[in-house]
Amino acid sequence: MVSAAVMLSVAGALAWLLWLTGDVGERIATTRWVGAVAGVLIPVWLLLVYYAPIEIAQGVIQKIFYVHIPAIIPTYFGFVLAALGGALYLRARDDRWDQLAVAGAEVGVLFCSLMLVVGPIWAKPAWGHWWVWDLRLTTTLMLWFIYVAYLFLRSFAFGSDTAKTFTAVYGIAGIAAIPFVYFAVDLAQGSTMHPSNPAREGLPPEMGRTVGVGMVTFIWLFAWLVAKRLELAALQAHALVASRVRSA
Amino acid sequence: MPWVIAAYAVTGVALVGYAIHLRAARRAALRDLQRRS
Repeated sequence: MVSAAVMLSVAGALAWLLWLTGDVGERIATTRWVGAVAGVLIPVWLLLVYYAPIEIAQGVIQKIFYVHIPAIIPTYFGFVLAALGGALYLRARDDRWDQLAVAGAEVGVLFCSLMLVVGPIWAKPAWGHWWVWDLRLTTTLMLWFIYVAYLFLRSFAFGSDTAKTFTAVYGIAGIAAIPFVYFAVDLAQGSTMHPSNPAREGLPPEMGRTVGVGMVTFIWLFAWLVAKRLELAALQAHALVASRVRSA
Repeated sequence: MPWVIAAYAVTGVALVGYAIHLRAARRAALRDLQRRS
């Protein structure tokens, strides 16, 4: 039930974002409905976190998982969107797909940063260390660096077609790192401190439901932020065209 | 408990902060567009 809701949310958010990218100016009004969905889900998720049972072994710090684990979905979603937008840009040479790619990468980096900050806040009381050079942590940091570099590349070469082409290829290549992050715990073969993927751990129903609602909340929050970022990119592109027309 | 509060506070500040940044950038882009056109 929960995993079906997560899958449906990913599919729905992806379909909506692709439709929105087709004509941001005309369709941006639908963003308020997505914002409303996220606005309703946030208090529901926080209430579930508050009332979720306290885990015996870890105590209350285990509740940090309810924000750390859901952040992984928008992270992967954002980077896949960067690759998908990049591929569609290379095919059609349409700036709208490039704007979708940049929006996905930027919001993906935001959620990846959150995961990398919130994880150590849990690790310090749980492991006694803020950070260990464990395979899962290291590959996640590597993924973060890949897409931070993507954003730097874009900010240094705003508006250039060469930069758009280069970052499209880079964004597509970057997602090759995602399977390494996802399967890092399995690849480490027991020599990792990071817990394995929650889907395989079989969480108790109350905890699984809280993680699931957190994931659905973060997916719609992510979609809302990407839409806002897309709108901004479209406005900036219009301003650039207007300034070129004026100076011509 | 302080660790849990810190984790959720960091999340809230980051997400709300980014949304405020987007809103401010949108307003600046609209002003820029009006000035140039």
